[in-house]
Amino acid sequence: MSQHTIIYHPTVGKLLKNIQEVMIGKDEVARLSLVALLAEGHVLLEDVPGVGKTMLVRSIARSVDCEFKRIQFTPDLLPSDVTGTSIYNPKELKFEFRPGPIMGNIVLADEINRTSPKTQSALLEGMEEHSVTVDGKTIPLKKPFFVMATQNPIEYEGTYPLPEAQLDRFLLKLSMGYPSQKEEMDMLNRTSNQHPIETIEAVITREELIELQKQVRDVYVSVPVQQYIVEMVSATRNHPYVYLGASPRGSIALMKAAKAYALMHDRDYVVPDDVKYLAPFVLPHRMILSSEANFDGKDEKGIMEEIIQQIKVPIDRGEQ
Amino acid sequence: MNRNDTFSRQHSVLNLIVYICGFLLFWEWLKPLESFTDTGSIQVFLLYSAFCFFLSYLQLAWWITSPLKLLGLLFVLDGLFIRESLLSLDWYKLFLMDAAYNMQAMLSQEWWNMTPLFRSFLFLLLLWLLSYLLHYWFIIAKRTLFFVVMTVIYVTVIDTFTAYVGNVSIMRVFLVSMILLGITHFQRITQEEKTENFEGKKALRWIFPLFVFIFSSSVIGYAAPKFNPQWPDPVPFLRSMAENAGGGAVQTVIRKVGYGENDEQLGGSFIQDDTLVFQAIVDEPQYWRIETKDFYTGKGWVRTVQEDFVESLNGQIDMNIFSDQVETEEKSATISFNRSQLLPKLIYPYGTERISSASETYYLSYSSATGEIFARSNDDNQLMRLNHYPIIFQEPNFTFKALRNIPDEDPEFIKQTYTQLPETVPARVMNLAEQIVKDEPTRYDQVRAVERFFRNPNFVYDTQGIPVPRDGQDYVDQFLFDTQRGYCDNFSTAMVVLLRSVDIPARWVKGFTSGDPIDGPGNLPDGMELYNITNANAHSWVEVYFPEIGWVPFEPTKGFSNMADFSTGLTLEELLAGDTPDLDRPEQEPLADAWNQTDVENQGAGSGQFNLFSNVSKTAWILIVAIVGLSGYFVYRYRFHWMTWWKRQQLQSKPDHLNYQNAYRFLLSLLEHKGMMKKPDQTLREFAFDVDHSLGTSEMKRLTYFYEQMIYRNQLNDEQKKKMKELWENLINRVLS
Repeated sequence: MSQHTIIYHPTVGKLLKNIQEVMIGKDEVARLSLVALLAEGHVLLEDVPGVGKTMLVRSIARSVDCEFKRIQFTPDLLPSDVTGTSIYNPKELKFEFRPGPIMGNIVLADEINRTSPKTQSALLEGMEEHSVTVDGKTIPLKKPFFVMATQNPIEYEGTYPLPEAQLDRFLLKLSMGYPSQKEEMDMLNRTSNQHPIETIEAVITREELIELQKQVRDVYVSVPVQQYIVEMVSATRNHPYVYLGASPRGSIALMKAAKAYALMHDRDYVVPDDVKYLAPFVLPHRMILSSEANFDGKDEKGIMEEIIQQIKVPIDRGEQ
Repeated sequence: MNRNDTFSRQHSVLNLIVYICGFLLFWEWLKPLESFTDTGSIQVFLLYSAFCFFLSYLQLAWWITSPLKLLGLLFVLDGLFIRESLLSLDWYKLFLMDAAYNMQAMLSQEWWNMTPLFRSFLFLLLLWLLSYLLHYWFIIAKRTLFFVVMTVIYVTVIDTFTAYVGNVSIMRVFLVSMILLGITHFQRITQEEKTENFEGKKALRWIFPLFVFIFSSSVIGYAAPKFNPQWPDPVPFLRSMAENAGGGAVQTVIRKVGYGENDEQLGGSFIQDDTLVFQAIVDEPQYWRIETKDFYTGKGWVRTVQEDFVESLNGQIDMNIFSDQVETEEKSATISFNRSQLLPKLIYPYGTERISSASETYYLSYSSATGEIFARSNDDNQLMRLNHYPIIFQEPNFTFKALRNIPDEDPEFIKQTYTQLPETVPARVMNLAEQIVKDEPTRYDQVRAVERFFRNPNFVYDTQGIPVPRDGQDYVDQFLFDTQRGYCDNFSTAMVVLLRSVDIPARWVKGFTSGDPIDGPGNLPDGMELYNITNANAHSWVEVYFPEIGWVPFEPTKGFSNMADFSTGLTLEELLAGDTPDLDRPEQEPLADAWNQTDVENQGAGSGQFNLFSNVSKTAWILIVAIVGLSGYFVYRYRFHWMTWWKRQQLQSKPDHLNYQNAYRFLLSLLEHKGMMKKPDQTLREFAFDVDHSLGTSEMKRLTYFYEQMIYRNQLNDEQKKKMKELWENLINRVLS
């Protein structure tokens, strides 16, 4: 990453700095989470418990002055526990809608693979449609709406792994990883008194965030870069180890993420570097590997690297 | 590094040494010019180049050095050519007129019409440019190997192909270039490692051992015993291969063509030398005789006959080559020698009767047995070398009839002297001679048969790759059965030996061929022509003794024809009667020879290497190929330099997306050429980071930033263009240097 000129958009820079107060040594995950936030996408965090997934979401939520909600998924959770439900108010003699946790701005969906597919799809539908239907009534979700779902890769007993079609709904799939020893020591010191999450303040308002999301949509993507994106996505479909490649939604996701990444670096145009950097976070969870890949011990990350190496970076304007 | 640092670095002691070495090498280029071109006053040119080198060393601004160099140039021209004062207007008028004339000559490609003044002017300009070029190579680019290699090649080529002797020169070149390469290598390393201020004592500590090494190894190398060349000289070998002569003969001696007195060891190659020896004014081409030799040793010729010198005070000569029975025609000739090529013996045509000269300071002393004529001073009998003398001669006309009707017996003295052969001549030579002459009725026909024998296509005229016979090997045997390649000495000696094998008295004659007719001055007498005879015309041929007739010349060498006049000697009646059937064949042949001699000579010249023209055109071809090859090499070698210039022009004339894109891509290819290749999957930023890292700049990153805006954002404004161009130029210059 050292070759990228680290110039941040001033607002994004402030946001990142605030998050870094809480999250030690997790710059990249923080940055990528912000990319998803700015691109109006959602993040799937796959990691073991206790590495700071919740803390990350909370710090983002606090920094943007947004409503933070958390859903702890359990096998007995019902869709209505997510979306909310209408309850009869005997006083007023009518059903009243009690909004569920999905009605927050920033939602942490913890251990999403522990609940039944029915409940999962309730959340995923909300993520995709930006609205939920309760009792035949469509209720729009708040803006901004950002879901960060986590799943534990270790325990498979009694879990309901997300089907591929559902995984597609997440813009990025990230993994936190353990901090280094030094970072962990640092963490001990910082949390000995008061947890820093309690001390950080919001640095931007909800409106400012919405404005940033709007700016992301205006970021320019030139024809050669579009071609680069398309080539990369279609390469996932032609790779011998890939059974099912990324869908056109994958191309759109990659472009959206690249735009957000460009804006984050205070650019109003996307460069191939953005695409190249983001592809390993945007595309792998949209591919299904063939059984040969499993026999040969290949994983999505390795195949993605191969694909990136195969694609020629455009260095000309091309046909304009 | 600020400007002062740069300045002092460029003026360091090391650079001074580099400069001096460069100049010394350059000197080696100028030195041989005198020996193979008509360049006079080489010192002046040398001084001028020293002047240019010195100015380059001072590193002054161009507006100071250029006028100085120009002034120097004019000063040289003034001193050499123009008598007017340099300050007068006439000087410049004269110069401009001369330049205009030369321009015209150049445009009409009449190179020979160019005046020495203008040629010198161009040469001085060349020296000026070279002084700059060498400054760039040596000091800026610190690349000296190319020039060193070129110098070595130049000296060796000049040494091989011209009269210039480069033995000492090559040693000087070695010494100087080793020092030069050592120092520039040292400088390059310090520059690459960014070791600043490696000057003064530190540098000396490094340079001193270098000098010691070079000098001691040179001295040891010079004094040490050396192997003889392990390979045959490849130049004649290549040439013989090219001419498809084959043979694979190992040649050990290369001499320069020309008249020499010692013929004890014949064989070996020689190189052509077109130096004019003398000019002759005569009506018809003549063979010019100098001397004969009578004893064949198996390796060459020596003289054993009594040198019965006769003195002639009035210039009358009675060489007694042929008898009075031979018809003659009185003719005259005038010989004028090139003063640098005077010979100790006089040259003369067949039938010379009288050699007269205006001067009465000398007398002639001649020997009819050896054919030599000397001029000796009247005062002290010392040999004199005459440079100009007229000759009256009786040109013989031999008739076949007389040649065929001779008595059987030779005089005893002739038989004894001119049929002797060493016992070392192998029997197969004798057998061959008998084989050749067995069906021929008369001596004349036998001689003609032997002469004709050499017309066989197996025999090839060649001057290169001709071996010297090994110990125990016979010179003629080697030629007849082994190599079958050679020049006049091989052919003529072989013919004499073959004739003597069948007891026909014959001897070996040396002299010059007729030379090339040239346009003489207008005042030549009617029917007379002027001939240029050069060293390349040195020749040897055969004389055969016919009783009652005398010595008759024959020409066995391929590509040459007998200049002596032969006629049938038959009366008209005899010819009409046609009763001499046995005469038909031989008769037609010599006649045809005599009539077509010019054609034959040209033809022969084409196949041999007698012809100047074919040589010139071959050289010209080699030159053209070399020039084309060399310029092709330079175009390729400096492709990035001239392409930079081209791209810059494009950016200047049409600064649009496309040209900036091309310029950027050109930079990428230049970087690739320098070992920094952009991988296809690398983004421009990643590559720029690598480039900046290895060049130690941030310019590539900045340039790439602007370039990205251009291609990924479609934005190209004036400020961006300006910055891009500036960064592009900086990077190109940095990479190219």
